[in-house]
Amino acid sequence: MAARLRKAGLPYALLIPGLGWLAIFFAIPLLYMLFESLKQGTIDTGFIFNWEFSNYTNALSDFSEQFLRSFEYAGLATLFALIIGYPLAYVIAFRGGRWRNALLLAVIVPFFVTYLIRTLSWETILSDSGFVSDTLRTVGVLSEGGRLLDTTFSVVAGITYNFLPFMILPLYASLERIDPRMLEAGYDLYGRRRDVFLRVTLPLSMPGVVAGTLLTFIPAAGDFINAELLGTPNQYMIGNVIQSRYLEVADYPTAAALSFILMALMLAIVVLWARVAGTEALLGTERERR
Amino acid sequence: MTPTGDDLDSHFDRLLRDPLTRRRLMQRGAAGALSFSALAYLAACGEETGGGADTGAEGTKAIRKGKISDTLYFANWPLYIEEDRGTLKEFQKEYGTKVKYVEEINDNTEFFGKVRQQYARGDSGGRDIHVVTDWMAARMMRLGYVQKFDKSEMPNASRNLIDRLKSPPFDKRREFSMPWQSGFTGIIYRRDKVKREPRSVDDLFDPDYKGKVTMLSEMRDTVSVVAASMGADPETASLDEFMRAVDKIGQAAESGQVRGFTGNEYTKDITKGDSWVILGWSGDAVQLEADNPNIRFVAPETGVHLWTDNMQIPVGAPHAFTAQKMIDFVYRPEVQADIAEYVNYICPVEGVKEILTRRDPALGQNQLIFPDEQTLSNAFIMRQLKPDDERELEEAFQQVIGA
Repeated sequence: MAARLRKAGLPYALLIPGLGWLAIFFAIPLLYMLFESLKQGTIDTGFIFNWEFSNYTNALSDFSEQFLRSFEYAGLATLFALIIGYPLAYVIAFRGGRWRNALLLAVIVPFFVTYLIRTLSWETILSDSGFVSDTLRTVGVLSEGGRLLDTTFSVVAGITYNFLPFMILPLYASLERIDPRMLEAGYDLYGRRRDVFLRVTLPLSMPGVVAGTLLTFIPAAGDFINAELLGTPNQYMIGNVIQSRYLEVADYPTAAALSFILMALMLAIVVLWARVAGTEALLGTERERR
Repeated sequence: MTPTGDDLDSHFDRLLRDPLTRRRLMQRGAAGALSFSALAYLAACGEETGGGADTGAEGTKAIRKGKISDTLYFANWPLYIEEDRGTLKEFQKEYGTKVKYVEEINDNTEFFGKVRQQYARGDSGGRDIHVVTDWMAARMMRLGYVQKFDKSEMPNASRNLIDRLKSPPFDKRREFSMPWQSGFTGIIYRRDKVKREPRSVDDLFDPDYKGKVTMLSEMRDTVSVVAASMGADPETASLDEFMRAVDKIGQAAESGQVRGFTGNEYTKDITKGDSWVILGWSGDAVQLEADNPNIRFVAPETGVHLWTDNMQIPVGAPHAFTAQKMIDFVYRPEVQADIAEYVNYICPVEGVKEILTRRDPALGQNQLIFPDEQTLSNAFIMRQLKPDDERELEEAFQQVIGA
């Protein structure tokens, strides 16, 4: 009896470290931040809890531009990552052969280098007098006084690059799991390559697409490093605003309110996306395994 | 996923094994400064009340005499002392005090956020000395977060501080702050890119340099210099006059004239040639000029901003008396000479010029390290605004620089 009880309790007991971690480092700080976002005051006079809901409306109206820009850039970067990542994952999964692991490693290896350094190196690559700018100028793609660095292009490119593995890996995982017999069945039923791809491969890889887009979009929307290093104030995203509100202006209530608004908007977008892409796609992996 | 500062520093150390100059180290520091710890934020979020010493700075008693302690905690900015920390070793040799020297200050406001709660409780968090820029030093005083020196225990500091820094508006008698190093904010430019030598800040707004101009993200540096170029005197200017400067900067940012607002990282942009005419700091300029003959610093005709980073002793400092000794120690010319030789900012100590001239005549002659009367007469110290005005200006500026 006691043994069985212990057995039944064990899985829950194993959850304790994880739940504890979540409580201490996620739930409590979140509550703390909520509390902070409703305060009123300045750094010199002190902040007083005052149910100051205007922090939210002010934050939204003052920084709507940066909010929109964050989602625009994150959306573009996610799209580009998908366009770059899908063929890559497809080739590795279906044509990789014995090179599969090596190719996957090649995708991941650049990311052994610190995020910041990778971004800083883009700064050098796209520099005004750098190789890329010079070449494009010679070819005539870039105007004489034009530049790549510190533009919308450089920021979106940086984000795309930095979050690419988060797109490729889930895509690869879902493509690799596709049973080749499904494809064979498709061809046996006189499906052309295109039909088989559109009707078999693509639907079966949707869980990867959904997971990949979410894993790319969510961190990209909150990113501030790329805009900071590869952009100018005209490219700043909401992450830059939050960072400067906390650390430069020391306006903690606004910064906290901005963080909450960002979370809420993100949640809304994710739910909407899950609706559009279908929850089936999200849960597809589950069903398949059964 | 923000990498932590420590990770990054060690990473850089491994990556870059080339000879170290302070400037190169600064570039690394700038990258490190980007990352920020969640702890700093968490610490900053608590309740805030008036301050440890309720009467503010004025009424407090001076630091009492005591014994020299075995240890001392010195909080400073990165790369602001000789590489081998010789000064600290000498101090230990003479007084037997082991100095724990922590380069924990990357940004005035960030540091303030980190220590505010502790200081408000009258707890210095173990710190005996911190170094902050004028306006923050003034804020620390206003809130009663720092202790009053006993100047009778500081003969070198009293005697050797250069005249120009003897009575800043916020601490007329230098009772709560002593300069660590000073610097100018002026124009740094590429000789090979500009059409003629820039003379005033107006050149930064020249359409020919569109997209090749950067300014500083430190509000007081950028706003004061631009305001001066618009005819205001930053030592006495009104909030409106500063606000007009912010508007002008904002339009330039909007139009793409100004490429960005930077901290120390401007050094790599101008070295690469991505920027041509920028606002920058004199100490960096000395090193940039040494490395690249095409880079020059010029003091705008309408005035350079003279700023100072000040040593202060926070309330509750466990070794305040020893800290006072330390501050006095760096005011010995022979001690300061080693620091000045390495950091290349304006040296606040009288008598160092002679020592350095013997070591390296070029350094001794450098107007950016030892400015003469004429250079100094063109320098202004930005006035201290009322807290509300200061906040309004800071907000407006942050809005302009996109945050």
